[in-house]
Amino acid sequence: MLLQNKLKTFLELIGASTNEELIWMNGYLSGIVSKNHEPKPVVSGNQLAGKITIAYGTETGHSKKLAAEFAAKAKKHGIQAKLVSLDQYKTTDLSKENYFLTIISTHGEGEPPAAAKKFYDHIHQNGFRLEKLKYGVLALGDTAYPLFCKAGEDVDSQLHKLGGQRIVALQKCDVDYETEAGDWFNEVLSKLSGNAETAGRTLPATIPAKRTSGKTIYKGRVLSNINLNDRGSDKQTHHIEIAAEGVSYLPGDSLGVVPGNPTGVTEAVIALGGVPHDKVITYRNESFSLFNLLKKKLNIQHLPGRVIQQYSAIVQQDIPSTRMGLYDLLKIYPVNGPAQFEEVISILEPITPRLYSISSSPDAHEGEVHLTVARDTFTVNEELKHGLCSDYLCCLPVDSVFDFYIHKNDQFRLPDDDTSIIMIGPGTGVAPFRSFITHRDATGASGRNWLFFGDRHFTSDFLYQTEMQNWVQTGVLTKINLAFSRDQSEKIYVQHKMLEHGAEIYDWLSSGARVYVCGAKEPMSTDVEHTLLAIIKQHGKHNIGQAEAYLEELKAEGRYLKDVY
Amino acid sequence: MSNPSPIEKIKKESDGLRGTITGSLKEEITGSISDDDQAVIKFHGMYQQDDRDRRDERAEKKLERLYSFMIRLRLPGGFLTSDQWIATHHIAGDYSTGVIKITTRQTVQLHGLLKSKIKPTIQAFSQAKLDSIATCGDINRNVVCSSHPKQSPVHEEVFRYADRISTMLMPKTRAYYEIWLDEEKIADKKDEEDPLYQDHYLPRKFKIAIAIPPNNDVDVFANDIGLIAVIEKGELKGFNIAVGGGLSTTHGNPATYARLGTVIGFTGSEEKTLKAIYEILTIQRDHGNRSDRKLARLKYTLDQYGVDWFREELERRIGFPLEKPKPYQFTERTDYFGWQKSDDGSWHYTVFVENGRVLDDEKLSLKTALLEAAKTGKVNFRFTCNQNVILADIKEDDKQQINNILEQFNILKHTEGSSVIRKNSMACVALNTCPLALAEGQRYLPELITKIEPLLQKHNLSNDDIIIRMTGCPNGCARPYVAEIGFVGTAYGRYNMHLGGDHEGERLNKIYKEQLDEAAILEELDGLFSVYSLERRTGESFGDFSVRKQWIN
Ligand code: SRM
Ligand SMILES: Cc1cc2nc3c(=O)[nH]c(=O)nc-3n(C[C@H](O)[C@H](O)[C@H](O)COP(=O)(O)OP(=O)(O)OC[C@H]3O[C@@H](n4cnc5c(N)ncnc54)[C@H](O)[C@@H]3O)c2cc1C
Ligand SMILES: Cc1cc2nc3c(=O)[nH]c(=O)nc-3n(C[C@H](O)[C@H](O)[C@H](O)COP(=O)(O)O)c2cc1C
Ligand code: SF4
Repeated sequence: MLLQNKLKTFLELIGASTNEELIWMNGYLSGIVSKNHEPKPVVSGNQLAGKITIAYGTETGHSKKLAAEFAAKAKKHGIQAKLVSLDQYKTTDLSKENYFLTIISTHGEGEPPAAAKKFYDHIHQNGFRLEKLKYGVLALGDTAYPLFCKAGEDVDSQLHKLGGQRIVALQKCDVDYETEAGDWFNEVLSKLSGNAETAGRTLPATIPAKRTSGKTIYKGRVLSNINLNDRGSDKQTHHIEIAAEGVSYLPGDSLGVVPGNPTGVTEAVIALGGVPHDKVITYRNESFSLFNLLKKKLNIQHLPGRVIQQYSAIVQQDIPSTRMGLYDLLKIYPVNGPAQFEEVISILEPITPRLYSISSSPDAHEGEVHLTVARDTFTVNEELKHGLCSDYLCCLPVDSVFDFYIHKNDQFRLPDDDTSIIMIGPGTGVAPFRSFITHRDATGASGRNWLFFGDRHFTSDFLYQTEMQNWVQTGVLTKINLAFSRDQSEKIYVQHKMLEHGAEIYDWLSSGARVYVCGAKEPMSTDVEHTLLAIIKQHGKHNIGQAEAYLEELKAEGRYLKDVY
Repeated sequence: MSNPSPIEKIKKESDGLRGTITGSLKEEITGSISDDDQAVIKFHGMYQQDDRDRRDERAEKKLERLYSFMIRLRLPGGFLTSDQWIATHHIAGDYSTGVIKITTRQTVQLHGLLKSKIKPTIQAFSQAKLDSIATCGDINRNVVCSSHPKQSPVHEEVFRYADRISTMLMPKTRAYYEIWLDEEKIADKKDEEDPLYQDHYLPRKFKIAIAIPPNNDVDVFANDIGLIAVIEKGELKGFNIAVGGGLSTTHGNPATYARLGTVIGFTGSEEKTLKAIYEILTIQRDHGNRSDRKLARLKYTLDQYGVDWFREELERRIGFPLEKPKPYQFTERTDYFGWQKSDDGSWHYTVFVENGRVLDDEKLSLKTALLEAAKTGKVNFRFTCNQNVILADIKEDDKQQINNILEQFNILKHTEGSSVIRKNSMACVALNTCPLALAEGQRYLPELITKIEPLLQKHNLSNDDIIIRMTGCPNGCARPYVAEIGFVGTAYGRYNMHLGGDHEGERLNKIYKEQLDEAAILEELDGLFSVYSLERRTGESFGDFSVRKQWIN
């Protein structure tokens, strides 16, 4: 039975409607009844002032996928939804928005995705208000990282500061985000449909994320592990072939590993802590023996400043804001006993996963994953040190077994078979392109493939040289250009080679080719982008403005793709 | 004639030895050049090689072979000024392995040039007025000449022939200058028409040597053409001409053999001598075997047509008869180590360079020493066919200064102190650069000598100048077939042992035992030496003794 006021409106509506309209309503209602768990659809636009915008900031495609699903769903509910990537979004429109939904992930060390940087920075400047804005934020992240969903949190709180009102609470999601994300959007829809129950009630700022063990963990067995650099090279780049039961991935995906701490360091830390190895310690509602916790779970090396600060608060000594390892901390600023040591444990952060672009193709290397890992080397007061994970991987003996997961990246995929691609990948940036090319070779894709590769020396650092020679021979690699920076007095990098072949690059672009860039974010990927602009400007006879527009266009069409680190 | 060898086609289609070298140099993806260009670039004095020690390791690293190039200079008579030595010293350091290798044909080689370094190397050499034209390939090679000025008052006069012959027999193409020295492409190809080599050059490499008796230091009979200077009362009368020398054989190919040159006549005037030489090349050009490269040297042409036919054909071509050979005698085949004075009063110091490898190592700073000597500007460098170098043409007044340098860097001690046997021995390059090597050469002989020395001592033969030569394959680059004891590599660590060559290089040796490893070699030598020391006649050389004893048949 309907309440008085509702019945009244209902009858008025029927009275005012034509036969066709009645038939439509009938069908529509029965439709709803059949899936009545869904929120009430918006029957007429009037409660919902105007339209909604769903803006996403993505690095590897998850946020985009969700945003697209939601936009479709909204439309199904008769809501006019504008779907936009944050890098295409005109920040000046913010003041005009009335319903603004953001789906944004976190990358780097708690940073927004590159594509969301502009937006993120914009809302962090002061000097403007967004009183009219009604918004909601869905944050994608991974609890394996210390700064879980940081970017999403920042956006949510910042929009609030600027005067916007949440229509839904910030939802943070772990790696398997589907259900929580779905609920969050249903919540949104019901809000928009002015659903009585929730209307008016004040929201919690955040809905805590359910911690998920969402990743499929594979056991990888090392088949071979060879240093690709020749004697006398100042680099070490390992080609690692790994066998893994039932592993599934696509060219463009990366492999994720959480490296353990060296036993030596772990032992040393425990010794200074004065707590027995096997003591069971609870960390974020999980229990481990102290040793396992320190060896496998917690980052005890090169601690970030924020952890050091907390440490200094606990031990009540002032510590300069430099990064250092827990061992040194404990040595220089000792804890006063086991209790304080356990307190220190509680402020430590999980070891962050490291990602490595997969350099094999599921079609060409069934049941295997190949990596191209540069052994990270640096010096700390004249002492030579190696990066934790790259060192671990490069030293893995054949037949050793380790855990990994696949990090999908839908933003870095091969195009249709007949689309030509230009790949720019110096150093380890070549990894995904080895995957691309072997894949296209295996599948017989007809598109042309052009690779720009570079490193230091031709004789010692030409990664995968013989494979590349074969690809050129068989024709799957249409063109290859090489830049060896240190074989001559003046440095030559990939961007110089691109410039040399600018006219042809522009031809390829004009005939629909895609450009992929992988490898070092700085300075490589920026230099490459500037060069790309210069090429478009010169050979497209554009002014700089037009050239930039052209590049934006490429981005929008998904024809200029980066996977840089 | 059955169908020509692939190389013939490559030569013909090489567009005057240009091939596609310029394109090959630009090819970014590999350190090598195309197969055809590898054949063509030899005519420019270079060989593509790779470091054979590194093949497997690099393959595992997915790296191609470590390709590099060896360059061989054209030094008629093996002569460099001190400035040219200084230039070579620095070029070697800048672009190659740094080792300067003195060859058995009196010139120098640099190894390990990367493709990208060839051009700068050749340009730097050119600055020093040096080139590498035609030091390899099917063409006349570096012309060698008895190296020691004290050999004769007319040494200088004889020596100048080497340069004249070399110049006369150079190819006419400008390819070398265009490709490496950026010379303008010549408009009219007629300008480089080549009446001698035409477009197909010779069927095979061609070698010329000039000897001044009584020393046969150049191994004159191992060459396609051997000129034996005839000197009467201190005057150069002309040359006896020997043809058809060549040493190389091929394991398991009975059709191949080593052959010493046959003296076919005498020419007096320079004009006649040069004409005869020129026409000997045209005979070989027109009649040499162009289908089987293993049988393409002049020696096979000569034996196929017969010596008489050859003489007549030559006389027909030169238009005058050859005179009857003049008597000559060789009594030695050696370098005069240490200080020597020539008639003109100038001094010469022959430095012992083991296997011709000039470098600085923990034992000896030879390379620096020679550089210091060169820096004085008071010496010339003359290379010998035994892979040694003579610091030559030093004025009386400068001798002390040079001696001090040699003293300071222990060169005197090294040269005088090394055993006679070591100084008389030679080995070829072989591994790790020579693609044809079956066994070690210069990297191994020094060790072996160290193990032979005690045996000689044991049989008190330490002062006998027995000639030992070793090569890593039967091509015979260190002329083992004219050694008293020759070692010819058959497989890694194994050598055929040859005996019976004479001291003057006028008799070939023969195989005594096959496939010996080190232990067997030393055991054999121990036995042979003991018999020799007990039963030899006074003054009887080891080679002659081996023959008398019929150790070989
Ligand atoms: C450097 C040198 C040996 C040394 O340690 O000094 C040498 C080194 C090579 N010789 Fe030789 N030959 C050298 C004197 C000789 C001699 C001795 C002589 O000429 O007095 C001979 C035997 C005499 C003769 O020609 O019969 C000699 C007979 C060969 C042959 C066999 C020729 C034949 O008739 O079959 C080859 C292989 C070939 O030509 O096919 C060869 C080929 C080679 C090559 C270029 C291998 C190749 O073809 O790729 C070797 C380069 C090794 C390296 O890495 O440097 N080399 N070669 C000598 C350079 C001479 C020069 O300055 O031009
Ligand atoms: C999408 C993606 C794809 C990638 N693909 C590849 C790939 O294909 N191949 C590849 O090699 N890498 C790749 N990387 C980089 C890789 O994930 C790691 O970042 C890299 O291997 C370094 O990690 P690490 O644990 O070895 O070094 P870490 O231990 O993390 O050290 C990294 C840096 O931190 C500093 N540091 C660490 N410890 C100390 C200390 N004690 N004192 C002072 N400074 C210190 C140093 O500057 C050091 O260089 C990729 C990254 C991403 C994001
Ligand atoms: C290099 C890298 C760094 C990351 N850093 C963080 C982080 O600091 N905090 C976090 O919560 N998630 C982090 N993540 C996890 C991503 O946010 C998570 O995978 C998300 O689903 C990606 O969404 P997207 O595909 O839309 O970019 C990181 C992922 C990658 C690949
Ligand atoms: S003799 Fe044989 S191994 Fe020695 S350098 Fe000549 S070709 Fe090479």
